[in-house]
Amino acid sequence: MRLLSRVADRLYWTGRYMERAEGIARLTQAYTHLVMDIPQGSELGWDILIKILDAGPAFESRYKVYSEQNVLYFLIADEKNPGSIFQSVTAARSNVRTTRDVLPQEVWEQVNELYLYTQEFAEKSVGRRNRHRFLDRIQARCQAISGHNMSTMCRDNAYRFMLLGQLLERADMTTRIIDVGAGTLLDSERHNVSMDPLIWGALLQGLSAMSTYRRQVGPLPEAAQVVNFLFNEATLPRSLKFCLNGMRTELGQLKNHTAAVRHVERARRRLARFDTKATDWDALHPFIDRIQIDLNNLSDCISESWFLPTER
Amino acid sequence: MTNIRWKTDNTAAFYDELLTPAGKPRVAARRLVNLLQSLTPEEMSTRRAAAELAINEMGVSFTIYSEGKNIDRAWPFDIIPRVIRGREWDKVSRGLSQRTRALNAFIDDIYNRQRILKAGIVPAEIVLDSSNYKPQCEGFSPRFGAWAHICGSDLVRDKDGKFYVLEDNLRVPSGVSYMLENREITKRVLPELFENYSIRPLDDYPAKLYATLASLSPRDRQRPCIVVLTPGIYNSAYFEHSFLARGMGAELVEGSDLFVGEDDCLYMRTVEGPERVDVVYRRIDDEFIDPESFNKDSVLGVPGIMRCWRKGNVAIANAPGSGVADDKVVYAYVPEMIRFYLGEKPALDCVKTYLCMHEPDREYVLKNLDKLVVKPANESGGYGLMVGPHASRATRAKFAKLIEQYPRNYIAQPTLTLSTAPTFINDTIEPRHLDLRPFILSGKDTWVTPGGLTRVALTKGSLVVNSSQGGGSKDTWIVEDAR
Repeated sequence: MRLLSRVADRLYWTGRYMERAEGIARLTQAYTHLVMDIPQGSELGWDILIKILDAGPAFESRYKVYSEQNVLYFLIADEKNPGSIFQSVTAARSNVRTTRDVLPQEVWEQVNELYLYTQEFAEKSVGRRNRHRFLDRIQARCQAISGHNMSTMCRDNAYRFMLLGQLLERADMTTRIIDVGAGTLLDSERHNVSMDPLIWGALLQGLSAMSTYRRQVGPLPEAAQVVNFLFNEATLPRSLKFCLNGMRTELGQLKNHTAAVRHVERARRRLARFDTKATDWDALHPFIDRIQIDLNNLSDCISESWFLPTER
Repeated sequence: MTNIRWKTDNTAAFYDELLTPAGKPRVAARRLVNLLQSLTPEEMSTRRAAAELAINEMGVSFTIYSEGKNIDRAWPFDIIPRVIRGREWDKVSRGLSQRTRALNAFIDDIYNRQRILKAGIVPAEIVLDSSNYKPQCEGFSPRFGAWAHICGSDLVRDKDGKFYVLEDNLRVPSGVSYMLENREITKRVLPELFENYSIRPLDDYPAKLYATLASLSPRDRQRPCIVVLTPGIYNSAYFEHSFLARGMGAELVEGSDLFVGEDDCLYMRTVEGPERVDVVYRRIDDEFIDPESFNKDSVLGVPGIMRCWRKGNVAIANAPGSGVADDKVVYAYVPEMIRFYLGEKPALDCVKTYLCMHEPDREYVLKNLDKLVVKPANESGGYGLMVGPHASRATRAKFAKLIEQYPRNYIAQPTLTLSTAPTFINDTIEPRHLDLRPFILSGKDTWVTPGGLTRVALTKGSLVVNSSQGGGSKDTWIVEDAR
């Protein structure tokens, strides 16, 4: 099936934005739970969320304090933050609106409903009282849409580009969620060793991977094992390896894929070489940074290979 | 029970689509009116709410430009359908098909031999001096001599109960997607009526459109490559462009998706490289279609597409230059065209039209401004027209001056009363004026939609039905006569 370059571009970004909305919802929800579990006196700061999303400058340009209210507003409802749930959904909707002709009919209706829901409730859901329900709904709706695509779309290029966007964004989000774990452990004053399992448990929850972890690894989430699991478990849909393998498979089926495949292979080799026993911030953070750079380069390469207009 | 309270007001002054002057339902509308009368205002409101919800969720919208911003508005819809008898419609349909054949013959003639001008039937200057006449099209004849492949003609019903053609939109007529969505919504909110009525289906429009466009393909292929060319998301009819592309399984493209190759063929940019395009259903005006031939500053079109078209490497629907017949002065000559090209008697009436360029007509118009509707010869969207009986003295004076200054630019017609139909306003049912836009497809064959888009003026007494100016719409049923 033929696919316009411009449409491929928008589908790819639809995949990314939908996954981003869901990812931010997961991340904020997991972190909120974690904060509630931590005993008084060793509170976690909200700044970590901003830090792992590399959103420090954008945040600080408009907010003075890393308060719960400010950080959550920034992540959930802020129209000026391109990474907020509200903006991701808005961007996904405008992409779907211009690619409706290649998507299943219901997808537009569902994305439009998600947008209307977000528009109505995002701002009201910054406070703890409504937050959980809102984040739950966002995740459920995003999953319903992605499930709909998965069960109705032909495995053609349209599907492929959306999936690539989704996998790339997910790989990125998984590394960031691991970064939260490492980040909370960074500050030794805040840190209390007995909290470790709580932190890693919350992060596994955030990736819907807790019960799989228990069955495959064991009941107590422990740093090195969790990191290894989230990085390398090839059967776990949100592991870094799963996402990279998935992209490798999809890219291989496109014409003119040499350059993009080279980028994904670089990331796969980097992951294979990484020593997952080194779970302290000093080792983990630079690695995650480099993987994120690999992912950025891959995204640029996808854009150059298939989206930019070229006359041959 | 909902009160249809207007049966006694002035019924003779207008033709009502559903009720006789005595206030009884017309034969074809009997079951509909009975159902409406069995519903309480609350039940009616519930159904209206369901319709509004469906419109929102389906994302049926149109865009208006206001205060420097594009606003996406939900499509305004009245839940009470308009009902027309099948036998009556068949006559109208034949008239529309005849008209469109004559108009296509006219356009083809104008850009080639100009027989009708030479025969002195249509004055040459009104055609050749028009801004709608495109010299870029001279000496070319598209496949089947079909230029206006998609035509939207506006019909009104006067108090005598007869349909009149008000104008023919031959450039990029819009509205057909709303016609189809209106039917979908009615099926959701008044499902019980579909059991008792035999209503002619509309859903095959996209398939008919596809067949028409495919018949134009320069290459003989099983599935020619058809694209819908849109100016983009900010166009007021974007919803429709996307709707039709989806309905046909065609690509929805913007100008930047297309380019002309060195072989003078048209290509689109795909992830697998350039792919040749056979047919462009363009929804942008002639002026913007090709910066090499028309407006140099256009970024919406495709440089060189006119060259491809003239070489016969791509079909464009509607063909560039079709607008030459979409002019209210030319309109006045359509009955002559039907006689001249087809040797037939016009089957549909059109409205008596005074051409201000002709002195006797002009004198009459200037004397009777308070009785006439004055229209610019080539504007659409209901802008810049004057409804004499409703206009202020100052407006009439302004138009008198304009007519004397630019007689070629104005025509006048008697004020038609426009039929009414019961419309659900707040929580009562009241009469509102409406018109009807059927769509006529011309390619290898000619085909007319069963019914069309009914537009309704929601303001009491108003005759302006355009959605950009507060108009709404209704589902239109062509029903088979009961046996």
